[in-house]
Amino acid sequence: MGGCFSDMKGGKQGIGGAEQRPTAMVANSSYGEGPNDAVEFFHRTRGQHPLFTQLELSLSASNLLDCDITSKSDPMAVVFAKKVDGKLEELGRTEVILNSLNPAWINKVAVSYQFETVKRLIFHVYDVDTKYHNIPVKMLNLKDQDFLGEATCVLSEIVTVQSRSLTVNLSNNNGRRGARNLGTLTIHAEETVASRSLVEIKFRCSNLENMDLFSKSDPFLRVSRIVETGGSIPICKTEVVDNDLNPTWKPLCLSMQQKKKIAWNEFEVDLFRKLQKSVAELERLHKERTGANFLLPSSKNGHEKVLKGQLFVDQFQEKLQFSFLDYISSGFELNFMVAVDFTASNGNPQDPTSLHHISPYGRLNSYQQAIMQVGEVIQFYDSDRRFPAWGFGGRKPDGTISHCFNLSANESAFEVEGVEGIMDAYARALHKVSLAGPTLFGQVIDRAAQIAGESLSHHSNKYYVLLIITDGVLTNFQETKDALVKASNLPLSVLIVGVGGADFTEMEILDADNGCRLESSTGRVATRDIVQFVPMRDVHSGQISAVQALLEELPGQFLTYVRSRDIKPSNLSAAQTSV
Amino acid sequence: MEKYCHPPSRTVEITILSGEDLRIDRRSIQKNAFVVVRCDANNFRTTEMDGEGGSYPKWNERLILDLPAHAQAVTLEVHCKTAFGNKVVGTASVPVSDFVGGYVPESYLHFLSYRLRDSRGVRNGIINISVKMKDPAAPQYSFSASASAAEQTTVGVPVGRSDNGVGVVTGVPVWCAYNSRNF
Repeated sequence: MGGCFSDMKGGKQGIGGAEQRPTAMVANSSYGEGPNDAVEFFHRTRGQHPLFTQLELSLSASNLLDCDITSKSDPMAVVFAKKVDGKLEELGRTEVILNSLNPAWINKVAVSYQFETVKRLIFHVYDVDTKYHNIPVKMLNLKDQDFLGEATCVLSEIVTVQSRSLTVNLSNNNGRRGARNLGTLTIHAEETVASRSLVEIKFRCSNLENMDLFSKSDPFLRVSRIVETGGSIPICKTEVVDNDLNPTWKPLCLSMQQKKKIAWNEFEVDLFRKLQKSVAELERLHKERTGANFLLPSSKNGHEKVLKGQLFVDQFQEKLQFSFLDYISSGFELNFMVAVDFTASNGNPQDPTSLHHISPYGRLNSYQQAIMQVGEVIQFYDSDRRFPAWGFGGRKPDGTISHCFNLSANESAFEVEGVEGIMDAYARALHKVSLAGPTLFGQVIDRAAQIAGESLSHHSNKYYVLLIITDGVLTNFQETKDALVKASNLPLSVLIVGVGGADFTEMEILDADNGCRLESSTGRVATRDIVQFVPMRDVHSGQISAVQALLEELPGQFLTYVRSRDIKPSNLSAAQTSV
Repeated sequence: MEKYCHPPSRTVEITILSGEDLRIDRRSIQKNAFVVVRCDANNFRTTEMDGEGGSYPKWNERLILDLPAHAQAVTLEVHCKTAFGNKVVGTASVPVSDFVGGYVPESYLHFLSYRLRDSRGVRNGIINISVKMKDPAAPQYSFSASASAAEQTTVGVPVGRSDNGVGVVTGVPVWCAYNSRNF
């Protein structure tokens, strides 16, 4: 098996596992990689459930090309979906496995499977150069890496095989298979089952054999799950402990798939040697404080040699982890707020090319389309369908420029009713307010933060989402970053929808998806990622469902907030019956 | 005890959670990072040393400090004990306004993160903390609760720190509990 002898610093951290530790408020959390139950819930309540399944792909490869001179390649796989226009959209990346030509990657790639669409997947395998090993894989520039080959298949090809595994040959860039054998890639697809039950296990070993010549071994554990159709899939690994034959690792979190058969819960622990135990057996090891011996599969007569090395379970703790839907269905309220960009960069509303042009023929402009499409989704999740609605960057009738004014006709009431209310208030404001500038998000973000912050005095079960619809040209980037960093500690997310065709590079930076946390001018760093940016052109090009795009990060952002504060769904029994 | 004669003085609970990507001279630190939280020169608390986390240490240690009414900021100093004595990895200043006032309830648990800067002002890692103000109505003489844990901790006080970057930092062990026993 690949990846067992890592000697590089970058590959030594633990990978996988089901839970991010609640105290580690890391922005690039792994929640986004799991299934998005918020999207599924939206579809299911509209009777669209059977059309839509979330799958996760596990990848492994064999006989890869060796690009490194002194050691073997350090492969990483990237999965793309091929869009109708031929462009590739990245779906996800695996981790880098060090020094292996036969890697079995742990990180899974989530894809949504719609029966009626043909989804062509492209897989690229790269050799990641040693100098990039300390960089998160998401931030790697693929152009800098050595290309090891590509493969392609249609998603339904994998799903229709009984074993749900498909092996394809890797070829070089131009599609033809060259003279050299570039190896094969195996893709395994499984339906993702959201599970509330976790088990936290702390492993320790004693008397491991020494594998290194001049020092002691640097052991780590890899835990795999036995699949019903045979074989096993690695799901997580511990960090590497240097130079120690009696190592203790940090606790691992394994998710228990209760809906499936017991077979799901059998884990294989492989170090240099193997050991196969069910979760129940691991629990017994913990209770009886005994060790289990590692086995060495022998090629002769099928016997397994029992080794001196033993595995102990120092800690075995079952935990419940609640999903986004558990909170929503138990009465946790989402409240949306809307802010519309009234700056001059949108173009004069009288001009038909303006993003704010109101057509005499009733055709919706870009902002109206965005309000309608996004509104449909947020209205579904909003608890009272009353939205505070503001505009920014406009010149009010009294001649002053405001960076946060009420859209509603009634100056004192800042809330409007439903999507219709937003549409009416928007159209009315467009007549009264003239477009001006500069474009500053700070004041609307502060206002939203104030509402979210004040709600904490009397409710602990409200979470706010500020929806900013903008053409994306910011005047003062740092001012926006400061406001976002300040708000990152509150029950608030900011969803930025970009209309028009402007350059959205700054919006992508605010989104912080590349793992860089936002930093304010005073040196404070965002507690967590609270921003998601969605360009509207992606939403109505029909390639990704609008719902999927808009709700992609919200559940993860919400869960980081409640889990860090140890907030539990208020009515547990209700949550359990409804999901 | 004199400190409590000033009624506006308040108690603040600061939990030092973790550090990220800590470096000394651009090299990731190996172990033995600890944090000194300082309200003013004589009013400080120190965490234990982290032994496992390397350049991503985790402390999860709750420190209780007396926050003087005039305090504008709390200073976080990340130190690292090396073979050559204690080195300051980086410092960050936490404005009191980040956790007092604003729109949230007084006792709100704030999760805050700050960029650390070394003695030359170069960006160096991130520190994650949580901060909560204790109820001002009930002044607590609660240092004895933390004293038992603090008693085993030696505190490194940087002495002779010069700002030109070449100064050597010397570690002087001080019994933390000494501070809380002097009344």
